[in-house]
Parts: sequence; structure tokens; C-alpha cells
Amino acid sequence: MSHTVVPHSALPSSEPGSMSSWEWSRRVFLSRSATGLLGSVALRWLNQPRAAHAAPGPHRRPRAERVICLFQNGGPSQMDLFDPKPELNRLSGQPYPGQAKVETLSPSASGNLLGSPFAFHPAGQCGMSLSEIIPHTARIADDICLVRSMVTESVCHETALRIAHSGHPLATDRPSLGSWLSYGLGTGNQNLPAFVVLPDPGGLPINGTLNWSAGWLPAQHQGTPFNVQDLATSPVLNLSTPAGVSQGARRAQLRFLQQLNQLQVDRFPENSDLAARLQDFETAARMQSAVPLVADLSGETAATRGLYGLDQPGTQAYGTRCLLARRLIEQGVRFVGVYLKSQPWDTHSDNANATRKVAAEIDQPSAALVQDLKQRGLLDSTIVLWMGEFGRTPVSQGGNGRDHSRRGFSLWIAGGGFKGGQAHGATDDFGYESVEQVVSMHDLHATVLAALGLDHAELTHRHEGRAETLTEPDLTRARVVEGLLA
Amino acid sequence: MGLIVGLGLLTLCATTAAAEPPAAGSPLLFQEVRAIVQTRCLKCHGPLEPKGELQLGTPLGLARGGESGPAVVPGNLAESPLWQRVAAGEMPPDAPLPKAEQQRLRDWIAAGAPGLPPRPQAAVVGADHWAFQPLLRPAVPVNPARHSEATAIDAFVRQSLLAQGLDLSPPAAPALQLRRLAFDLTGLPPTPAELQQFLADPSEDNYHRAVEQYLASPAYAERWGKHWLDAAGYADSNGYFSADTDRPLAHRYRDYVIRSLNADKPFDRFVVEQLAGDELARFRAGEPTDLATIELLEATHFLRNGQDGTDIGVQEPEAFEIDRRAALEASLQVSLSTLLGLTVHCARCHDHKFEPITQREYYQLQAIWFPAFNPQDWINPKDRTVYAFLPGERERWEANEQRLTAELARLRSEYVEWLASHREPSELLLAEDFETPAWADHFTPVAPGDDTPGGELDWKRSTAPTARVVGGRLQIVAGPGEGWLSTRQPYEWSPPQPGEWIEVSFDLIDNRIDGPPAERIAFALAAHDYNDSSTLPGGNLLIDGHPSGPTSLYLDYPGTDQKQLGQIGEQGYKPGQRYGVRVTCLEPGKLRLEQLVDGLPDGKLRELVPADLPPGGFAFFLAIGRSYVVDNLRIERSPSQAAWPAAERERVRAELATRRQDYERRRSELLKQRAPSPGRAIAWVSDKSAKPPEVPLLTRGLYHLRGPLVEPGALAVLSDPAHPYEPRPPAEATTTGRRLGFAEWLTRPGGRPAGLLARVHVNRLWRQYFGRGLVETTDNVGLAGALPSHPELLDHLADQLLREGWNQKPLHRQMVLSRVYRQGAAPQERGLEVDPGNRLLWRWPVRRLEAELIRDAALAIAGELDRTPYGPYVGSQQTPVGEVVVAESTPGARRRSVYLQQRRSQTVSLLRVFDAPSIATICTARPSSTVPLQSLALLNSEFALKRGSELAGRVLREAGGSTDARLELAFQLTAGRLPIPAERELATRFLSEQTTLHAGAGAEPQSAPQAELQAWADLCQMLLASHPFLYLE
Repeated sequence: MSHTVVPHSALPSSEPGSMSSWEWSRRVFLSRSATGLLGSVALRWLNQPRAAHAAPGPHRRPRAERVICLFQNGGPSQMDLFDPKPELNRLSGQPYPGQAKVETLSPSASGNLLGSPFAFHPAGQCGMSLSEIIPHTARIADDICLVRSMVTESVCHETALRIAHSGHPLATDRPSLGSWLSYGLGTGNQNLPAFVVLPDPGGLPINGTLNWSAGWLPAQHQGTPFNVQDLATSPVLNLSTPAGVSQGARRAQLRFLQQLNQLQVDRFPENSDLAARLQDFETAARMQSAVPLVADLSGETAATRGLYGLDQPGTQAYGTRCLLARRLIEQGVRFVGVYLKSQPWDTHSDNANATRKVAAEIDQPSAALVQDLKQRGLLDSTIVLWMGEFGRTPVSQGGNGRDHSRRGFSLWIAGGGFKGGQAHGATDDFGYESVEQVVSMHDLHATVLAALGLDHAELTHRHEGRAETLTEPDLTRARVVEGLLA
Repeated sequence: MGLIVGLGLLTLCATTAAAEPPAAGSPLLFQEVRAIVQTRCLKCHGPLEPKGELQLGTPLGLARGGESGPAVVPGNLAESPLWQRVAAGEMPPDAPLPKAEQQRLRDWIAAGAPGLPPRPQAAVVGADHWAFQPLLRPAVPVNPARHSEATAIDAFVRQSLLAQGLDLSPPAAPALQLRRLAFDLTGLPPTPAELQQFLADPSEDNYHRAVEQYLASPAYAERWGKHWLDAAGYADSNGYFSADTDRPLAHRYRDYVIRSLNADKPFDRFVVEQLAGDELARFRAGEPTDLATIELLEATHFLRNGQDGTDIGVQEPEAFEIDRRAALEASLQVSLSTLLGLTVHCARCHDHKFEPITQREYYQLQAIWFPAFNPQDWINPKDRTVYAFLPGERERWEANEQRLTAELARLRSEYVEWLASHREPSELLLAEDFETPAWADHFTPVAPGDDTPGGELDWKRSTAPTARVVGGRLQIVAGPGEGWLSTRQPYEWSPPQPGEWIEVSFDLIDNRIDGPPAERIAFALAAHDYNDSSTLPGGNLLIDGHPSGPTSLYLDYPGTDQKQLGQIGEQGYKPGQRYGVRVTCLEPGKLRLEQLVDGLPDGKLRELVPADLPPGGFAFFLAIGRSYVVDNLRIERSPSQAAWPAAERERVRAELATRRQDYERRRSELLKQRAPSPGRAIAWVSDKSAKPPEVPLLTRGLYHLRGPLVEPGALAVLSDPAHPYEPRPPAEATTTGRRLGFAEWLTRPGGRPAGLLARVHVNRLWRQYFGRGLVETTDNVGLAGALPSHPELLDHLADQLLREGWNQKPLHRQMVLSRVYRQGAAPQERGLEVDPGNRLLWRWPVRRLEAELIRDAALAIAGELDRTPYGPYVGSQQTPVGEVVVAESTPGARRRSVYLQQRRSQTVSLLRVFDAPSIATICTARPSSTVPLQSLALLNSEFALKRGSELAGRVLREAGGSTDARLELAFQLTAGRLPIPAERELATRFLSEQTTLHAGAGAEPQSAPQAELQAWADLCQMLLASHPFLYLE
């Protein structure tokens, strides 16, 4: 299988004519084994491909190859963005008429119904109704699959974030979606991590690095955070050659190190770990050139920069991360997670103004990413996932805020085999409970994996004697939602 | 082997090496078949109501077959219903087995079903599982070719090797043996002296001497202590919520573990202390105790290694219950995984799917933990603390307290006396002694400025809250509602010139009037706007005095725009003292607010800006719960320039400042000698009371679905009429004795539980030496776990542990003295052919150093390792994107890794990248990954660079001038051996070229000695990144 649909010409390869050290060690070994030191069995070892590429998947024909997850920390308000509710607006200010009380995090948060002050307009040819505060998203309406019937299992940020990322409400040792994809599909570029995270330079989201933890999967599958504030000098920890070490000195150091290590590899030709580490030093050196190149936005045209809103202060920060996400997947990165600092969508007070403000920062860059991918022919093979951990209540908290709500909320998915231009499912008249074509977080995970050619029940990793999965279908009843897929 | 991730569905373990189908006779084949069956068949043939009584989840179930007889007849496909049904496409019913998997199944049966146990007879499913049997004492095999082996380990391992036509490899070179030994026993490399001594005489005797020396060193306890801490789920933080709050006292448990290993404590005692140290200890809070008792209390921290979010839970009772239950369950899960190697927690919601453990048994076990972690009678983590002191410690502490109190009082009175005669002159703005009715003319409920009246309150009326004068003193009388008693006169509260000040003070005569003491003593500066209708921001600075702590500040009080400004002072408001505040101008635009007690500055200060203090009145705050009596209110300010000539002013202020500094210095010196309490705080666990609580079974594990009550009990599958579980309440009956009873049940020699405990522990020790457990799943030896590769050897070693009175060192000794351990690592054709994964141990398995070993060894080699043992952790910091570092400047930054902060969400990145765990439950088997981020850390991190240059300094210092001698030392330090000729040649050439490069190139060519030193630093850093350093062979 090939994951390398993207031209790599932008990146440096190893020096012309040189072979990788793995190749070299194999050749050296072959020439020596001719002297009869080792026989055919040892040769069988050598003829295997390097096991790093032996990822388990895909299980079936993939529609998509990679994912960008624009995570909307805090829980965006569905009835102010995606899910118009005339009945809610009509009864605004009156008590919620449902039979049970609205479930909230804070007991004080179940006030009267709170309508949305925003107008909704039909968008695109499909005519899906979207809020006036996300005009750029409206322009990509025909490309997005809007899910209005999401549910999750907790109204607590920590717990809901764990469910959204690793499928489990409490466990802190389970791998996140990006780690599963790195594990299941491997990387498309040995010079870059398979799973890259772009946190807000202003700070980590709730749950911090747990959001991109590999849990009990091997460490290479954890998300590698890029320091977006410091793209020019050190986007990844320990990436830059330290000041004071000249290029010439470093080249000589590496040559010496590799020759030294080669002596060990020659003694243990069957030990793939030694050979892999030998190769890793070269990979690391190539990463040192590859990462700054991918992180260097200076070659992007003014039109592209404008598209992402890099020329405006409000959208510049988020636009930079969205643009960087595109550049990363272009180079073969499997999964890019873009995060917000803390949780700006958490609009417990002054919901309308707070939501409008965050939307103004997020809307244009999010839509730009989809448009840009489409222009470049990458949207078909890239899933863009725009999601938070839950939604918000139809009733007010403190008069003008909204508390957390888990029984009904919206998110959208673009590209990668998802059916654009449709709004899937529906909530009740108040936007509180999903009532039609309900989709759980586990269903979402299963469906994203399916689009990538992975069977969620078969993508397993053995841990504590169990074949673990992301979705735990026996417990969660996770299923692929075919209606979301094209 | 980390980059090898195996085959997905069939992945048995991330580090399984075989990428090709296992050979017919290989145990791997059976493991794959088990994986197939577990994935495809358990929906119907699991342990709960298996269809046709056929239970395929375990090897024994597979061997037993179902109601219609055996499922598998080894070697006979036609007679094996399992194969027949699969081949016919009937099973699994929903989708036929993929061809590749069918082939594995077929191969396995055709090959005689290797690994399938004999058909069992036991009635209870799982009771005949190997790990639950009493320990056997297998006969040590006598190999025909040789009469005696160095150790029993060799006899067992060679037996299975010889059966495959294999044998052990020749011994490794002496230097390599010593390096393994040093790293495995101490976590540190051999020193050059140790190496030279051993190489000079690599005899058996000398090897034995080295073994004894390492086993006796404190480093042994740190190394093996860390293994235990990982297995026991130790962390310095609470986890659960993302706040991952601190456990500042957890280190006492870490130190307990290390001390116990240093003291060679028998393993059973070690376990009993951790489960029930409090029940063994004769400890009474408030009475002196001894070090042994203190250790027992520290040991119980084992029970709180699980995650516990109850220190920051949310308000709702339901959430409380969930968080508390989660902490109880975590404690049980961690303890039983650590000790029994079983996933007991899976039975919380339903009978266990793989193991013979019912849901009822889960709650019987929970009942043992319950008295200490009772959700209805909960103790928050930070309050789960006890103070313990040794004889005399309390007396010494009290004497010290008395001395300090007296000295502080003397210091203070001297200063107050001095101040009385050296007071700065002042200009009096208001002096009210409340002796005449005229006082009322000075006060109003309406603050001066732009205020409207303070509500409907009129303090001149008698309804409370109000103010009145009785006996020449002002009474502030509490009542419902709020208001204030303000001066009519506004004052300027922000003096414009540096050094100028304004001060308010009053005597606090009493803090009550016929009722409870006042909750607060509150007054306001710059009062101008009670009803919050003013357009002028700032002002209304409420100074909210606390009876026993610091004073809180609120700006713009009351109203929605009020803002908390932090705190000043520290002593609290007590009757009989004079209180006040002073605002001093520090520089234009910058004010300092301080609290005064008897004219002396007290505690914390607060900086303000002039906008905070517009002109306004001084007001006492009237409200409910705040009755008190004051007198002699004074408002005064620094004298005007004209009234007090500059020269004189500066002289007086300088003198005052000097004296004040002197007073504060002496005071803080005294305060530093103060200890918060006698002895030490210990984070422990004990039962809340001796009364047995009611413990319900929870239906489906849901907290609100309370089922029948259960009594404490242990697992039926391990039960043994000769070794029953029963609570053992201590004589003083301060606890239920449930945990002590469990600990004794678990460790009693001869019982099944002790057999399991010993097997689990021995298996983990084995893994640390040989890279893989005798049972590969070190955290699960139940029916769902792997089968032992050498079952008799495992039992022999477990039995030996018991026979040696649970002393661990004989086991360690046997491991490292074995020929298996000391053999070479070179590939052998026959071995690669028959057993490419080296499961049978025909050679030493080459291993990468673990994360902590890389860091500790680099520091040791560079001559920098700080060997300070014990005590609070060395803190780490998280960068904005989540990388975790221990700054080189941190005190203790060069101590062993076991002493670094083990925060769950904050594993030090350098260690994490080399697979150090971030502890969620426990960790008994780390992966050993190989990723480019490791290479980046070795090439570019500050840590690596620093160690390289330090090591170069050491080599040049210690090895004299010859390049050869220097190279020899550098290789001895990093690789534990002399360089081979090829390495010598490479290094020599590198040094010479690199020296030339440094001397000639770059913007600033270096002097010859500098260039040479730099070249050596380069060499040393590369050696610390090289295979010979990173791998044990």
C-alpha cells in the first residue's frame, strides 16, 4: 500500500547515491555471510522489510488517508451555530417544557429557555441552514457533512474530552484517536512524526497532553507537539542543532557515530532494533531539515495567507495553525490535531457575545482549510473533523449563559469520503436531545476509522491480556454510520 | 524492538519480534491460535453461559471441550469438531474465519496442538489454571551431558534447549558480564576501578565478590526499588482530574520502599506492611513512637497509589460519590494487579469475562478495603495524614516553641518601646475618643463624595445593625442588612510624594457584644459610593479583617464591579491590640498598603495605584455577625514639608527604616526556627473506625443500584480450607483487621495465594534480567494471560523464594550467577533457525538501557551524579507546549531519576521519550521503543551536550596526556570495555579531524587546547549516543 500521494520534492532526501544505513548493513552482511558464517535462516531475516512499516491496517479499501482534527475546546453552542430552533426562540424566557429537567453540570444552571439571537440562512446548493456568525463555513456548506444529532456520556470537560479522544470516560492510559491511526496506518513520511499536535501557543487545553497520549501503545505513536510560537527556531523539542555546533562539526559527529554503531550492527545483523536506531540518527538529521521546511510559511502566496486570515489579527493565530496543518498532511503526516487554549467555547456567561467572538476567530481559518485542501485536490483523501467535546444547554445559566449539554450537539466533517452538503440527524424542538439518527462519539470514531479503511473492531492492540480497541464495540455498541459516508 | 508492531489482530504484544509465521513446534503458534479464538469465538463461547458448555476463553476450556466432548483432538483434524465446524464455514456463524486464520488453526491441530494442556478434571472453570495451584517443587533436571549446573536455572533452561537441539551460548566476555551485572543490580555502570580490578582477575571468586558488592550497595535498593514503585503504581500526584494535584508526602513511601530493600526486608513482611502496616503498628496519635512504627505507617501509602480526585471534586453529592468510589476502586485495582497479577477490577460490573471471579467476590474484596475508603465517611487525600514523633521530639519542639514565643515577644516589645520614643511626627486629621456626644457630628451613614445614603439604614436609630457609644467606647452592633458608619469629612488617601503616608488606627477593645465573637472586623478607606451609583471608579476599599488570619481586600465594595485585591497582614484581629492601616507613597503613581498591629507592620503588603483611592471617608462596616467595640480612632498623616524640614525628615526616616529592617531580619530568623508541628507528617491509610461498615454489591457497578450486602472475603479460586481468610482486628481494636487478615491470607506459606504472589513477583524479577517474563504478560497471569515458557522453572524460583524465607537476594544471586545470564549474545545459526525470538534463551538477549539508566549512567559517567538519597522529589517544569524538563539549575537536578518528580501528567520528556511510563495504574513491562525523537534528544538536548563536555573534562583530567589512554578511559566509562581496534582507529581519526576543524573553521577559530577539548567533548557526546553505551550485550 502506498500512502505517499503527496510530492516529497519539497523535502530533502538523503544524499544522492547514498543508501540508507539499513540497506548498507544488509549489503555488508550479505557480502560477509557469503563466507559461510551464517546460512539461509539468517538471510530470511534480512529479506524482511523493516518492521516499522508493518502497521496492522488498512483492513479494506480506504476512502481517506489522513485526518486533521480541529478540536473546539469547551463545547460550541449548537443552537447558535449549526442547529436553528425557531421554537426555542419563540419560547425564549419561559420555563423548559420538557418532562425531565435539563441535565446540567451546575445545578444552578437550569434557568428558563434561552433563544439564539442569531439569524440562520440557507447555505450552498444544499441549502443547509447555518448561523450568520459563521459566514465562511456557510461558503463550504456543500463540502461539509453536518451532524446535528451527536451525543456523548458526560457533561464534565475532563471526562467528555477523554471520551472524544480515547473513547473511555475515566481511563487515562488509553490511546487517543491520532495514536490509533499512527499505530494502524503508520506514517507517510519517515522524516516527520505520524501524529502532530498544534496546541495554542497561549496554553494547553484541559487534560493537557493526555489529549494526544499514546497510552499503552508504544511511545512512537504519541502526538508530537509543535511549538507554533517558535516555528522559526525550534518547532519541536531538541530539533535544532544547538548554537555553537557548526554544520561541519555535526556532519563529522554523525559520520563517526554511524561508523561506530555500524560495528555493532555488523555483530548483530539480525537485530532490527540496532539497525533501526542506526537509521533513526539519519532520520533525525533529516527531520532537522524537514520540520523547519514544513514549518516555514514564507513560501505561501498572499492569496493563501489571506484565505486563512493570516493578515488579520483576529484570525492570524488560528489561521497559522490551520495552514500549518495543511502543510503537514501534504508531507505525509497521518493525523494533525489543532487545539485551542483552555476552552473558549465554554460560554457559561454571556453566551451570545462569547460565541460570536470565538466564531470570528475560528470560522474563516476552518473554512479556508477545507477550501484550500479542495483546491489542491487533497480534500478527497483528507478528513477534516470539526468537533468539540459536547454542546450547550437550551436553558440559560445565570440569565445569559449556557451550561454543558451532552444529549444533543453538532459537529461537522469534511472530505475523506464523507458525504458533503448534508445535515445528518436532528435534535428536538429545543436543540436539547438528539432524536433522529443519533450518533455517539464511539460511532463517530468507528466511522472515521472506516473511512480510513480500518475496521474498528479489528484494529486491536494486546494489553493486559485483552485485545483492546478504540471503540470497545461490546460495551459501547459502536457502529459505522453509513449515512455519513459518500 | 519498539518499531516492530506485529500483525494487528494477531498482535500478541507490541514487542513481539516474529514477523513470519511461527514454526510448527513453536509456542507462538498456540498463542496465535488463542488470539484467533479469543477474538472470533468468545461472543458465544465466553465464560458466562457458554453455548454448548464450550468455553474457549482459556487453554483449559479449549482442552476441556463442551457437552459433546473434546473440541480438539491433537494431531487429528478429522476428529476435532472445532476444526470441522470452522472448515465447513459453520463457525463463527456470522462470518467464516479468514483463510489465514483457518490455516493457523489447522496447522496447530495438525502439529499435535502444541501447548494445549491435558484435558482437565476440575469442576470449577479455571480452578485448575496453573497460576492458581499450590506451588510445586519440581525436581531440578539432571542433564545427561553434564552432572551439575552452576544454578538450577541453568538446568531448567538447558533442558528445554537440549530438547530442541540447542544449548547455551559460550560465556560473554568478562567486561560485558560485569557491565550487565552493574546495570542490572544497581542501575549504574561499573566504575573504571571496578572494571580494572575484575579484568585483572576475572575469576569465579571475583565475579561472586562483584555480585555481593553490588547487592550490598545502596544503589541496588534504588534500582530495584524503582521496579517495585512502577509495579505498585507510585506517583507524586493524584491524577484523575487534569489538575493532577500534588502528593507532597508521597516520597515517604518511595523512601520506605528503598529503605526496605536496603534492609533486605523479607518480601512477605514487605507486602504485609504495605497492606496493613497501620494494623501492625502500635501507634496512638499524639503519643511518641519509634522509627519502626513510622515505617509501618509510611508503608500503607501503597494503598493510595491509585488515582484519587476527591481533593478537587465538584459540588454535587452525586459527583462526590462517584469520585470517592473511583478512588476506592483504584486502590483495590492497583493493589491486586500489583500483588496478584489479576484483572480483578473487571468483575466490578459483572462476573469476570475471562477469569473465574464473580461480581460478588469483587465486592467481598472491596469490603476489605472499604473501612479505610468508605465513601460515606470519606477523608480527603490531604487530610489522610498523621503526625508521628519520636520520644523527646515533642518535648524538644515544645521547648523550642516556648523559647521562640518568648524571644519574639521580647523582640517585639523592645521595638514597640523604641518606636514610642522615636515616632515620626504626624499631623492629626481626626482624633475621636467617643467621650462626648459631639462624636456623632463627625459621622454619617452617607459617605462624603458622590454617595447616596447607605440603604435605609440609619445608625442613629436603635435597630441593628447600628453603632452607638456606651461608656466612652464605640459599639458596632450587628444586625440583618448592611450599611456603614462613615466620617463626614473626606480625606486624601493617596499621598503624592514619595515617603508621605496617611494612617488610620483604633483600639480593638472587644470582639463581641453579649454574643458570639465577630466573624470579621471590617472598615473602608476612600468610602464615597455606597450604592455603587458613582461614575468615579475605585474607592470603597473594604479592609475585611479576619479574627485569626490575613485581612482580605475588596475594591469598589459593594456591587457587581467589586474586585478582590488579595490580602494584607497575617496576625488577625484580637481584642486588646491597636489595629490600623497605612498608605505610603513609594514613588509617584505607586502606593503601598500595609496593616499595622500596635503600630508595627504586620505580614503581607499590597501595592495600589492612586486611582484605587480617590478622596472619601473612613467607614466602619455594619453587617450581620459583626459586633465589636472600638475606641480612640485616629486618622493622621505625615507632616507637611514646611512643618518638617527635609534634612531632619530624612534622618528620622533613615533611622526608622534601619531599625525596622533590623527588627524584621531578627524576627524572620526566629520564625525560620519554628517547625509547624513535632515530628513528621505521614500520608498514610487506616480504617476510619473498628466498626465494620455495610458494603453493598452494586448492580452493574452503578453507584445508585445498591444490591445485597456482602461480607469481606477473598477469591474462591485461591481458597483453601487450610488457609481461610478472616479479619484480624488488632488488640487495641482501632481498625477492623480486614486488611491484616488479607495480608496474612496472601502470604501464608503453603497456600495458593502465596504461590500466586511468589510466581507474580518472581516472574517480574525475571523480566528485568532477561527482557521478557517467563510469563510474557507480567501484569496478568490469569486465564487471559500468556502461558509460562518454563513453568517448572517459574515454580522452582517461586518455591525458592518461600524456602529462603521470602528473602529476595538469594533469587537475585541465582539469576546473575547462572550461565544463562552470563552467556554471550552473538547470533548462532541453529538458534536463529529453531527459536528466532530467543524464547528458550539460547543466548543473552541484547537490551537497550531503560530511560532512567540512560540518564543516571550519563550523569555517573560524566562524574556528576549526585548520590543524595531520599527526601522530597526534585521538581520538573512543563513548557508551554507540554515538554517537561528538569532545569540544570534546579537543586538536585543531577540526582538519580528515582528522586525526580513522578507527576502522572508530567513525565520528564527525556525519560518519556525512552519509554518511562506516565503512571495510570501500574507498569510492570515497559516497551522498548526506537524512535527518531530519541536520536534528537541524544544529539541536541542540553542534557546530552552538557554530559558530553563534562565527560570530556573528566577524561582529560584523569587519563593523562596520551590519546590512547584517554580513549581507553572514555570507552571503559561509556561501553564498559576497552575499544576494539576498529573503534580505536575511528575515534583517533575523528579526534584529529575534529580538532583541525575546530581550530581552523568558523568565525572564531579556537586555540589549540580549546579545539582539542571541543573535539573530545564531541567524541564523548557521541559515545553517549552510541550503541555500545545504549545497549547491554
